[in-house]
Amino acid sequence: MEQKPHEDQLYIEALLKNDSKVLSEIYKSFTRKIVSFVKNNNGNSDDAQDIIQETLVTIYHQAKEKNLVLTCPFDAYFFLLCKRKWLNELKKRGHNRVTIVEEITSVTEEQESMAEETEIFELQHQLFESKFKELGKKCQEMLNAAFKIKSMEEVAKFLGVSYGYARKSKSECMGKLTQLVKNSKEYLHIKAQ
Amino acid sequence: MQKEKYIRFDRYLNNELSEGEINSFEEQLKSDADFKEDFEIYSALESSLRSKFENEEEALVLRKTLSDLGSHYIKQGENDKKETKVISLFRFRNLMIAASIALLIGFFLFNNGRSPVYDDFAQHNSLELAVRGDNNEAVSKAEAAFNSKNYEEALKQLTILSNNYPNDTEISLYLGISQLELNNYAEAETIFNAISGGNSALATKAVWYKALTFLKQKKLEECKEILKTIPESAEEYPQAKSLLKKLS
Repeated sequence: MEQKPHEDQLYIEALLKNDSKVLSEIYKSFTRKIVSFVKNNNGNSDDAQDIIQETLVTIYHQAKEKNLVLTCPFDAYFFLLCKRKWLNELKKRGHNRVTIVEEITSVTEEQESMAEETEIFELQHQLFESKFKELGKKCQEMLNAAFKIKSMEEVAKFLGVSYGYARKSKSECMGKLTQLVKNSKEYLHIKAQ
Repeated sequence: MQKEKYIRFDRYLNNELSEGEINSFEEQLKSDADFKEDFEIYSALESSLRSKFENEEEALVLRKTLSDLGSHYIKQGENDKKETKVISLFRFRNLMIAASIALLIGFFLFNNGRSPVYDDFAQHNSLELAVRGDNNEAVSKAEAAFNSKNYEEALKQLTILSNNYPNDTEISLYLGISQLELNNYAEAETIFNAISGGNSALATKAVWYKALTFLKQKKLEECKEILKTIPESAEEYPQAKSLLKKLS
């Protein structure tokens, strides 16, 4: 399954390393058409900036968690993601009857599948985050400590409970969260993709 | 029963099960679809939350970088109208006096008997822009680049700044100096002409730089003509006089 990364992988690396020099290249070279797409479709430059930033943060999270390997040019992938994110945003705002102004660009299968992978990642990420917030305070605290501190011995010490109790309540909280996710309609939606 | 299940998930993911337990766990994954689904969600949550919490601060730092870049590259076109003022002219003047003195001392030390070259005179004051407004990133980048003699980058940043603050003569002047350093004489000259034609505090400074532009191209006659127009009262007069002396 080891795929050779596209040379534009450097942009993914830059997100991971917070390399502002390379990141500024992204803004310099790739954002103009996104901004005009948003502006041509009921948005302004603030909207464009938000869409661009959220997209980049999502790519960052995907790269952190899943070792995202780019197999197509960054530009095309990034544009596709921003474009769809903006269209979704418009839907949320109730702009259903907008005429979408866009130049016709051909999208390769590779770009399509890269973008789709990121979109599913994002949906899942958002779902997990929102369900996490539905947990009780105790569970949120428990999991927060468990994932930040790593060693469960330390977590137990930190929370002032026994190691056995910490382990047990961590897996119980995770169990609750699992059920919250499983019973959500968003989960069914993601599963269907 | 449910609780037991999650404890098993946790122990499986932590590699804490015995070989026998692992086998029966994996058997169940194959035969029990519901068990499998729960486990998949459980482990996806585990990986997602771990990554989220471990990288929380890093993600915040990244957001900061991105929002700076965003306001710089995306909103800059719309910032033109915002009020921005350069307030460092006074400081600039003091620096120039100090620099002129430094230049003069320099001449006494090393500059006897050979024909003057541009490098002897091209001692630029360091760029210190105090701009009010929200384009501080370009400002600090421009300063850093210019002061470390990275004129290509300085030119880039100053061009951005001068688009935002077209009436700012200090930015223009340094833009001109960067052009001059990069041997883009025509561009440099146009900028210096524009400043010297105005009545800003930097007008004579621009005349001086126009002279340097000719000096660097070894157009010595033109250089002299320009130098002669610098009035005695100007801060640049000592330098101009000294250069003129070398040229004649």
